[in-house]
Amino acid sequence: MNKAVDERRIVTLHFGEIKVGKDFIFNFPEGILGFEDLREFVLISEEETEPFKWLISIEQPDIGFPMLSPWLLDIEYNPGKIFSHEKNVFFAIVTLEDENHQMTANMKAPIILNSDSLEGRQIILSTDKYSTNFIIGSNK
Amino acid sequence: MLVLSRKIGEIVTIGNSIEISVISYDRGVVRLGINAPRSVPVHRKEVYDRIIELNRQAAKTELEAMKSAISKSGYNFTKSLNSSESIQVVNFSTIKNSQ
Repeated sequence: MNKAVDERRIVTLHFGEIKVGKDFIFNFPEGILGFEDLREFVLISEEETEPFKWLISIEQPDIGFPMLSPWLLDIEYNPGKIFSHEKNVFFAIVTLEDENHQMTANMKAPIILNSDSLEGRQIILSTDKYSTNFIIGSNK
Repeated sequence: MLVLSRKIGEIVTIGNSIEISVISYDRGVVRLGINAPRSVPVHRKEVYDRIIELNRQAAKTELEAMKSAISKSGYNFTKSLNSSESIQVVNFSTIKNSQ
C-alpha cells in the first residue's frame, strides 16, 4: 500500500513543510467560530512552546491557534458533565494582546478534541464562571 | 426582520422545540426565559462576537511572538503529565530531525 495516500503534505507558516498522517487529522464538522469553512486540523507540539500546542489548519496552513490545557491554568476547571467524556481532550485558545503581548486564554469557549473519533469542535460554556480572557502569567 | 409585541408572561415559539418567554421588564432591561434543546446553543450575542474576534486574533499568532511571550510571562508551566498527553499530537522536533 502506498504510504503517501495516508499522508497529507502541508506548508505551514509556523513549521514549514510537514507531512501529516491521516490518523492525526481532526475533523471539525462545524469549523471554528469565525473560521466555519475550515474543517481539518492537526495538533502540533514544538519543544520551545511546550506545554502549549498548535492547532494548524490543513486547508489553510498559515492559520494556527496556540492552545493550552485549561487545567494548567485552573486545576478546578469544570466544563460540565455534558462535555466530559474520557476520550475528550480540552484546550483553551491562547491570544496575544496587541500592545504588550500579554497572553490570555479563552476558558469560556474551549476546543474539544476526541481522540477516538478524531472529531473536534469549539463549544461555548453556558456558565459565566469562565472568562474569554483569562490572564496567563504577568507580562512585565 | 419579524417584529412581535409581547406582554410579560407571553411566549414566542420558534420551530417545534424553542420557546422564548418574556419574564420581566424593568428600567430598560428585558429578562427572557428560553427553552431550547441542548443541541441548540443559546448565548448573548456579544459573547459570541467576542469569541470570533479572539479566534481571529489567535489564528495569526506567530511562533516567534509566542516564544517571546512565554519567556516573558514568568509563568511556571508544569510540564508534567496532563490530559493532553492522551491525544494525537505531531511532535515537530521529531519530524524536523527525521526530514
